[in-house]
Amino acid sequence: MEIIQAILIVALAFWMVLDQQGFVITTWFPSIIGMIAGLIMGDVPTAMVIAGTFQLMALGVANIGGSSVPNYGLATLVGIYVALRTTSDIEHAKAIALAVGVPVGMLGIQLDVLGKILNSYVSHAAQKALNEGKFGKMNRIFWIGPLIFGLTTAVPTLLCVIFGDKIVRLLLDVVPKWFTDGLSIAGSMLPVVGIALLLQYMPVKKYLTMLLIGFVISAYLGLPILGIAILGFAFAYYYFTQKINSTPAAAAAGSGNTSVEGDEFDE
Amino acid sequence: MSNAESATNQVTKRDIRSAAIRYMFMACNTFNYENQQAPAVVFGLNKVLRKIHKKDEDYKASLNNHFNYFNTTTWMANLLLGASVAMEQKDGIQSKEAVQAFKTGMMGPLAGVGDTLIWVLYPTIMGSIAGYMGLQGNPTGAIIWLLLNIVFFFFRIKLFDVGHTSGLKLITALGDRLNVFTEAASIMGLTVVGALIPAVVKMNVQLKYQAGEVTLPIQTEILDKIMPALLPAVLTIVVYKLIGSKKIGLTSIIFLIIALALACSYFGILGV
Repeated sequence: MEIIQAILIVALAFWMVLDQQGFVITTWFPSIIGMIAGLIMGDVPTAMVIAGTFQLMALGVANIGGSSVPNYGLATLVGIYVALRTTSDIEHAKAIALAVGVPVGMLGIQLDVLGKILNSYVSHAAQKALNEGKFGKMNRIFWIGPLIFGLTTAVPTLLCVIFGDKIVRLLLDVVPKWFTDGLSIAGSMLPVVGIALLLQYMPVKKYLTMLLIGFVISAYLGLPILGIAILGFAFAYYYFTQKINSTPAAAAAGSGNTSVEGDEFDE
Repeated sequence: MSNAESATNQVTKRDIRSAAIRYMFMACNTFNYENQQAPAVVFGLNKVLRKIHKKDEDYKASLNNHFNYFNTTTWMANLLLGASVAMEQKDGIQSKEAVQAFKTGMMGPLAGVGDTLIWVLYPTIMGSIAGYMGLQGNPTGAIIWLLLNIVFFFFRIKLFDVGHTSGLKLITALGDRLNVFTEAASIMGLTVVGALIPAVVKMNVQLKYQAGEVTLPIQTEILDKIMPALLPAVLTIVVYKLIGSKKIGLTSIIFLIIALALACSYFGILGV
């Protein structure tokens, strides 16, 4: 029974990241993962208390724009497993879960960065196979991507399941602190690549004002992203209602999207 | 798609649904710092594009086109990719440029709007409900969240279909109005991206300036006084210019940043 539970927990860890980055059904948010882990371990109420604690910690931490955030789902999963194996007292279980889960969740950031770096090679290999005309091979290469990401969460979970939390602490102790810190720093700098890439495709010069407004409100006033998004929507809505009435519906020529509409009219 | 050309392509409803599910599964699971979601787009569309492009050369050209940088909120991408398939179905490989222009024109604005709705608003609302209920040992909130996700899953498959059947029609019918919409979405998108720079990119200088008795933490007393998030802003401008110059590859930029982070950590210049 314990073996089956352990296998299911590791499988859930593998699936969790794939689902979060793909189907978005079970996700890796602590609440849902905690509930499933509770079902596996046969103690939903205690699992929900631990999950709720992590969920509230994770509020407002969104991995948008390719950023890496502490993996609170992983923290929840490992925390629940170790806690329920050790104790049946809820308060005690919560303390154990936090002590074990938080470092594992932090380790998750570094593995996520690593996964995203390795996937560059997956992309290159697939494109190479395409240009050699090996279409079946290309299709198979793509599967390495989810395999890498699945392992980034399954491996730490497996280690915790086998050795408890000691191994993670040991790992974090053996690897020099400047190195793990460095990876975390890289993790909080690398989203800049995604942002800069996205900006290449947006009318930055034309709407530099908007970029500056968003920056100032976030940097100086520290308003949450959602508030800024609503403000952005307000600007956009004003622009839209002002412009839409002065623009004819069917005039297709001379616009920025000429290539799209041009093809239509060539027919 | 009811014209004679598309009849020979034989793209069925099933092909479209399969493309949607393939893309949705892969979405960010081949995410890399270079072309980001592009491999997932190729993985998602390659079966249906094979049906459209019978000649190997066309097929390769089309897929190579989809290997170009792509990143937007995955939920919104379904709409764009559905319409892209319709374009390729209609005009074959000649549509390559148009498909690229359409995808890149729409992904930025949609990412700004979609990411806040789907990755900030939705988990914040559901997370607070499910989290507080969870503290009492109650899984109801989590169950509701799970059920909503399942509903959205089918809705997203539908979005791909909507993109395929009416995305292009809508786009051509709207004409210049679409540009107004894209511009409006860009305005919102850029506001959000501007806010993302200080919120997501973090650099903390650990060094202290020492002069006799006085120690001055450089980050809080000097840099933050000039401008908060000064270094992230500078880094963004530098990387933006580097990418635009095309003199240095993306992989090199990524490794440069990692090397910089490790070096700064080793010498205690930057901290977590």
